[in-house]
Amino acid sequence: MLLQVIFSGLATGSIYALVALGLSLIYNTTEHVNFAQGEMSMVSAFVGFTFFNMLGLSLPIAILLTLLISALLGIITERLVIRPAMRAPHFNIFIITIGVSIVMKSLSGFIWSHNDYPYPSIFPDETISIGSATIDLIGLGNIGATVLLMVILYAFFKYTRYGTAMRAVSESQNAALLMGVNVKQSFAVTWAISFVVAAVAGILMAPVVFLSTHMGIVVINGFAAAILGGWGSIPGAIIGGMLLGVIDNVAPLYLPSQIKNVVPFAVIFIVLVIRPKGIMGMERFTRV
Amino acid sequence: MQKLRYLSTFGLIVLVALFLTVSDVKAEVGVTDTSILVGCSNSFSGPLVYPGTQLVNNGLKGYFGYINAQGGVNGRKILTQFYDDGYKPQNAVANSKRLVEQDKVFAILASQGTGPVMATVKYLTQNKVPLLFPFQGVPLSGQKTIFTSFTPYPNQSELVVTWLVKVKGFKRIGILYQDDKYGYTFRDPGQKMLQKFGLKWVAAESYKRGAKDLSAQVAKLRKANLDAVLLVATPPPGATFLKEAHKQGWKNTRIISSGPLTDEKYINLTGGVGEGVWGLSLWPDPVHSQDPAVVEYREIMQKYGKDRDKTPNRYSLYGYFYAKLFVEGLKRAGKNVTRESFIAALEGIKDWESGMIPPVSFSGTNHLTQNSGFMVEVQQGVFRPISGWLTLKEGTLVPLK
Amino acid sequence: MQLSGKWKILSWTGALVVLLIMPLFLGKYSVFLLSLLAIYALVSLGLNLLMGYTGQIAAGHAGFLAIGAYVTAIFTANFEWLPCPVTLLLAGTISGIIGFLLGIPILRLKGFYIAMATLAFGVVVSEIILQWSSLTGGDDGFSVPAARIGGFVFDSDFKLFYLIIPVTIIMTLLAKNLVNGYIGRAFIALRESEIAAQTIGVDLAKYKTIAFAISAFYTGVAGGLFAYLITYLSPDAFTIELSIDFIAMIVIGGMGSILGSIIGAVILTGMQQMLAGLLDLQVLIFGLSLIIFMIFMPKGIVGMLSDLRERFS
Repeated sequence: MLLQVIFSGLATGSIYALVALGLSLIYNTTEHVNFAQGEMSMVSAFVGFTFFNMLGLSLPIAILLTLLISALLGIITERLVIRPAMRAPHFNIFIITIGVSIVMKSLSGFIWSHNDYPYPSIFPDETISIGSATIDLIGLGNIGATVLLMVILYAFFKYTRYGTAMRAVSESQNAALLMGVNVKQSFAVTWAISFVVAAVAGILMAPVVFLSTHMGIVVINGFAAAILGGWGSIPGAIIGGMLLGVIDNVAPLYLPSQIKNVVPFAVIFIVLVIRPKGIMGMERFTRV
Repeated sequence: MQKLRYLSTFGLIVLVALFLTVSDVKAEVGVTDTSILVGCSNSFSGPLVYPGTQLVNNGLKGYFGYINAQGGVNGRKILTQFYDDGYKPQNAVANSKRLVEQDKVFAILASQGTGPVMATVKYLTQNKVPLLFPFQGVPLSGQKTIFTSFTPYPNQSELVVTWLVKVKGFKRIGILYQDDKYGYTFRDPGQKMLQKFGLKWVAAESYKRGAKDLSAQVAKLRKANLDAVLLVATPPPGATFLKEAHKQGWKNTRIISSGPLTDEKYINLTGGVGEGVWGLSLWPDPVHSQDPAVVEYREIMQKYGKDRDKTPNRYSLYGYFYAKLFVEGLKRAGKNVTRESFIAALEGIKDWESGMIPPVSFSGTNHLTQNSGFMVEVQQGVFRPISGWLTLKEGTLVPLK
Repeated sequence: MQLSGKWKILSWTGALVVLLIMPLFLGKYSVFLLSLLAIYALVSLGLNLLMGYTGQIAAGHAGFLAIGAYVTAIFTANFEWLPCPVTLLLAGTISGIIGFLLGIPILRLKGFYIAMATLAFGVVVSEIILQWSSLTGGDDGFSVPAARIGGFVFDSDFKLFYLIIPVTIIMTLLAKNLVNGYIGRAFIALRESEIAAQTIGVDLAKYKTIAFAISAFYTGVAGGLFAYLITYLSPDAFTIELSIDFIAMIVIGGMGSILGSIIGAVILTGMQQMLAGLLDLQVLIFGLSLIIFMIFMPKGIVGMLSDLRERFS
């Protein structure tokens, strides 16, 4: 029973992890905290839904188109609302992204209604047995896809020229500018990548939690996961997400119902107090 | 700088005063020769946005549109005013005060959500404003100005439990409930009913609103070796439960959904693993039923419904039905309608046939519209009745109609 | 262009008189709405003392509002003889102590981590209210008895107005004195640079926790007034969303400004109330205005006003 529940927690945790990943990406380059990360997943999932359900395209083509449109939406969002406020305090951007999340949720309701819809998975809806536990392939696929995406992104930032340039932007925008990095372009590319990560999260998440305009609330779990793993760390996002999912799931197994619901929040609080930089976090220096 | 600050402070106060005075233009009373105004605070954002928009935009506005197109009631068009509370009790209070004191509505009709509704009960009662058919299942009785709608949750719980024990002979019964008022008002009365039969909930598990994963709860309930488990949830977690149960290969326990959960959406979301699930249904199937009254509902919704999403569902059916019942009361109250005469007219309704639920009767002491339900089973993705309409009278099941 | 002392007093008295006689000309709903605006202004003020003056992001103030509200409700229901100012003071103090205790572990945190920790705090508070139902009524809700002082009962929105507005005014004046005094200057030094503040001798830990305690005190008192005005409490009222609304208030009004806190609360609450009749369009317009406010008035309304003034003088 424990094995079963841990696996299920990992599968749910992979969704939190992807949201945390998107949050970390944006934070790493721009130092902005994006409250709309969950709504970005929701919009992308609905775009995919429109392609295969309303326009009748096949699932792979629909997903490919969705990822393309998501990248475009990322660039548009950055251009429309983030760039005009680039010089403002980071806190203002946080409020702007709250605004963006509200607008996205509301507009999606107008376009697709606030109903819940079933959503097909790209993985087969079957189960296999390992010992006493039943493992479903959707959950397994979600975990695999999450880890794969993390490896790709990690390599991109570590080993490619472009990725290094974007990291330079996060260290110091002025220095990066002097070194010939196009800061504005890095911002746009970051938002595009982050929106694509959100789209992947949305497409993986919707079969599990169902498609609806309420999906975006997962951003709270994403924040928790990112904090747990270490804010801004790519592997940390994944570890934090998975851990949160497992804690969330194992707690009801052993604890009385009165306290089980606060366990994830209590864990975050304790982690913050004992080790504020999270599991994989790095110390950042603040200037006087 | 100083002067500017004082000026802006002063300006701010004057501005607020102006805005409040202008917006406070005295309206006529709720009833004129040509119109009658009703309204409510409801969810147009927040967690209950789908029920809220469907109930109001399609149900209430749809049916009133249809009535107004025929000339209204006693020569009066029915006008409506709605405000969004986003499921926050404090906003529901503010909206209700605005409806009563500024818009001067005749009655509050079909507001939604336990918290928001309960927050306004005291105020509305004190001001003698009728609170008609709020969409929530916590019992509200003993007030002259309040009429309630569907079978209250405790009664639903007792009905299902009695049916499972008496008709089906089940002994080992468990429950999965949402960790809030909705869940508790099923869990606790159900437990009392079971004790009367010398039984108890063999297992009781809960989940937090908005939970995404129920694998632990499924695993624990499954281990309890139950005959039946009562599911007290909202559609998405309800569907998650069924999928998880299917995934873990849990077969020998019958799953029964509560009244609010027995909803087409919940079965659609499971993607086919809901076959054989039982449920307590409070309504005929809004999508498939061929009863003339339900067919008429679908036609009127198509023509007069105001929401962009006009798919038939139990929320717009609710709004439609209670709009119809309100109109019935209005007709009976006659040309010189007042709040008192309207309440008296509603209390005079005996055996009113709607073609949807068993005949409705009110009296001076009974303000409950419905106290019944029937059992259904999911066959080929559709809820099929497996019993007639049932009610509970002094602990025994009584068939209706 | 300093106003002379006489004019200053006169203009304030004028504003006060206008405010206090307003209910005589307004409808009941407007009086209620004004009281609600005042309560939110108090929360916004408390939050601004913490965020605007010390730079610590707090995303759990709905939790302090809830603590204040439930303390007031429970004390009023159980000790009817307690005069309501005492109850409000108790609500503020208990909330302030909890704020102080919360401030201690948070000392080690920076920036967004504080936001996350306080957000978790807010969630835990509403969960405790839900589960501790023997005291709070849980999800049944809590019906709050009317406020009273001796034999006088504040049993209408009209009477409550004259409880809520004076409390708000007094606390606003107190806040004004506070920020102009030593504590206020220490707060600002902290916000500008913690390291620099330390070198000039500001005790970091002390002032950070003091800021938390004061902020929680203000919000707790506001919570007490909230309980009296709304008369029904349930955990549903104190959501993450509400905490975020409070943050939006001070950002729109102006960080680090007392006037800004009040303007922000009036605009945000006023806007939500005015737009409530637009139903599903309401949230869309609300979201759009947040974005537009932040892009075109990055320093809030007060910041924009002072920028404008600089340009014209």
